[in-house]
Amino acid sequence: MGLNSKAWWGGWIVFLAGLLVLVGLFSLGVGAVHIPLRKVVQALATGRGTPEYAILFDVRLPRILLGLAVGGGLAVAGVVLQGMFRNPLVEPYTLGISGGAALGVALNMVVGGSAGFGLFSLPASGFLGAFGVMIVVYLLSAGGGQIKLSRLLLIGVMVSFIAASLIMLIMAMTKVQDLHGIIFWIMGSLQEPSSALIRAILFISLGGLIVSLFFAVDLNALSLGEEEAFHLGVEVERLKKVLFLLASFITGCCVSVTGIIGFVGLVVPHLMRLLVGGDHRILMVTSYLSGAIFLILCDTLARLVLAPTELPVGVITGLVGGGLFIYALSRRGESL
Amino acid sequence: MKDGSVLAITGLSCGYGKRIVLHGVSFAIEKGECVGVIGPNGSGKTTLLRAISGFLPPRGGTISLEGRELHHMGRRSLAQRVAVVTQAPDIMPPFSVEEFVLLGRVPHWRGLQLLETAKDIEIAAEAMEMAGIGHLKERRMGELSGGERQLVFVARALAQAPHLLLLDEPTAHLDIGHQVQIMDLLRELNREEALTIIVVLHDLTLAGLYCDRLILLHEGRLRAIGPPEAVLTKGVIEAVYQTQVTVMETPLGGRPVILPVAGKNQ
Amino acid sequence: MKLARYRSVAILLFVCALLLFVCSDASSLAEPPPPQRIVSLVPNITEELYLLGVQDRIVGVTIYCQRPPEAQSKERVGAVVEVNVEKILSLQPDLVIASPLTDQKQIKKLRDLGVRIEIFKAPQDFEGLCTGFLELAQLVGRGHEAREIIARAEGELAVIIGKAKGLPGPRVFVQIGEKPLVVAGGDSFIDDVVSCAGGVNIAHEVKTSVYSREEVVRRNPDIILIAKMGMAGEREKATWMRYETVKAVQDDRIYTVDSYRFCSPTPLSFVESVKELVRLFHGTE
Repeated sequence: MGLNSKAWWGGWIVFLAGLLVLVGLFSLGVGAVHIPLRKVVQALATGRGTPEYAILFDVRLPRILLGLAVGGGLAVAGVVLQGMFRNPLVEPYTLGISGGAALGVALNMVVGGSAGFGLFSLPASGFLGAFGVMIVVYLLSAGGGQIKLSRLLLIGVMVSFIAASLIMLIMAMTKVQDLHGIIFWIMGSLQEPSSALIRAILFISLGGLIVSLFFAVDLNALSLGEEEAFHLGVEVERLKKVLFLLASFITGCCVSVTGIIGFVGLVVPHLMRLLVGGDHRILMVTSYLSGAIFLILCDTLARLVLAPTELPVGVITGLVGGGLFIYALSRRGESL
Repeated sequence: MKDGSVLAITGLSCGYGKRIVLHGVSFAIEKGECVGVIGPNGSGKTTLLRAISGFLPPRGGTISLEGRELHHMGRRSLAQRVAVVTQAPDIMPPFSVEEFVLLGRVPHWRGLQLLETAKDIEIAAEAMEMAGIGHLKERRMGELSGGERQLVFVARALAQAPHLLLLDEPTAHLDIGHQVQIMDLLRELNREEALTIIVVLHDLTLAGLYCDRLILLHEGRLRAIGPPEAVLTKGVIEAVYQTQVTVMETPLGGRPVILPVAGKNQ
Repeated sequence: MKLARYRSVAILLFVCALLLFVCSDASSLAEPPPPQRIVSLVPNITEELYLLGVQDRIVGVTIYCQRPPEAQSKERVGAVVEVNVEKILSLQPDLVIASPLTDQKQIKKLRDLGVRIEIFKAPQDFEGLCTGFLELAQLVGRGHEAREIIARAEGELAVIIGKAKGLPGPRVFVQIGEKPLVVAGGDSFIDDVVSCAGGVNIAHEVKTSVYSREEVVRRNPDIILIAKMGMAGEREKATWMRYETVKAVQDDRIYTVDSYRFCSPTPLSFVESVKELVRLFHGTE
């Protein structure tokens, strides 16, 4: 199945997958503590016990896996939303999901102290906040069973602002210790001690990619407008609802574990669109892989630049992502 | 409802929000007909097309496609039978012509199918050839002229292998060369492939020249229906369009030619 | 008959010897060696460790551990809130001392990897300070030294308090933040220092929080203490000089103090702070 001319799709996927493995290995090998290659081999051979092993496989590897899951997940959510809204400026956080998650975590920290009610409660409260916002935005925009996209966008942006203001209110009234906790959570981090949680996010992220792929063709049809998509046999209303819930769910899960890591969902789909075109089938897969690569690289930078101090990864994604974006736009100059 | 009628509409009313645009429209289309829908701006031509395509649900009356009620059919099932050609917009998403035409095969894909089959590609190629744009297959949609783009839209609709083809003012904004090219294509499809066609046109002469029957809408109601010679009469046109015209016959075939009379508007 | 008595004595002696042996063995079992590789994530604790004389056992500190100056030569493992887990692991510590500010996720991570972490809450008054100091000392096997230091500090403090008792107690406003204006409330160390020195903290009934400048003007303190040195301190002083109705401004009794020493003291530096305040409040005494 598939054309000769679709062979280049396979080429891109293989290339990016290979790049992902390379980047993962690179990230594994570098960090605040210098571990020379022979020690890496030693650690692999002797197994658990040495600090090198612990650093490589208990500290760095979980971060790389989380970077893969969240980078890929946010990129795919970005592709889905940009395709749905036919607007290249939409990203997973535009609809207020991140605001809701941050609000949930802020409330949790204020009421329960900076660890919340136990470590697992932080991602749970983040997810509840994200989910809550998702429901609110959906109900407010689905008037009469139909979702008007322009309305959805506006409501999402407004809810985002409201959530941000509420968070600032909470921060103004809270103890200094809790303030630290909230701010650092918001700044985003790939450090997560629970390997069960990391596995869960990996599963959700990859699952999200696979589910999104089944709507890729519908999204292609949708790029011509809702009426055109309808004429091609697409259930447009159902599609909008499913896509909204899908993208919000992936985003909510990612944000609740890692905090707010911006730009991945905005920049990566764009860059990939410039490279592989607008067909959502290849765009989704390549965006997932590129998002993973991008986030892992940014996290590696965050660990290295001012070692032993670590910068928040959201800072790096913003700077690198924003810079890349402007560069790419100025070189291409064509309509998005 | 006659057997063999592709489309049967009885007492159709529909509109947008509180506004009802069509009132009690009834007619039937037989297989293999080429029917033109004409009428002044705002008379409900596009609304009628939207109702037939299933996009606009009827407020009253029924629409039946090949004997089945329209709103009982699923989207995909409908898209496998009815293809719609709208006006090609100026700004296009970054598809190549071939990719764009292949989108027409989507209604025929099995549930979880993601990639085109060889058959899909074949059908798309045929559709492009028929539309006379096969040579443009690798080009980006944004690079084409308005006329070429409109032909690509027709090719996509053909790739859908429909039983009924709907077109909404396909000749708008086109030069006369491209207008004739598109209408000739439609005639060929109608004669050679026995494709049933309903086309909304603003140009009365063109409509008269190419269509077997004409439906004239006025203020949302069916004002006249019949062969061009019967519908395009001076009296009817002047009453509906509120302007003076001259109606002549073409030397070839006797089809009506409508000429505006300059400077004598009522 | 004599043989029987000798036998019972011998058995008794034997049992005693056995008991002694077991007990001494048990006590040596009950006392594991004190930690030899210590990572301190709290600048205050770092200073206290130096005070206890165990600095040679410190293998890692934060970038903010500036006192004593020798601490700056130690290996850095990160900041106070965010630390570098890799770095800590590579140092193979047998004790890590953290504060409630330290990132909970990182603490859990380290614990899951088998690192021993003790969390020391920040004390809020002299008593808590001494208790915490003693706990720390016992943790590193220097309980004896700690008791001596505490005794000395308590002694000195008692003398100072005694002397200050008879003198008039000025009403003091203590500022620890510039923008926004943050007051040292009843829950802070400074409150304790002030009261030991015989002063009254006009914000005693509130927690450390953002305060209104108008409220300060209304309460009209005799002395204003600014816990910021250098440029920031001078700027704040200049800002206060505009409010001429305040007694502290009129008497020119606005002083800047070392915020670090005042906010994160050791038992000894606490006493130093009190001495300084006594000087400021009552002239030399």
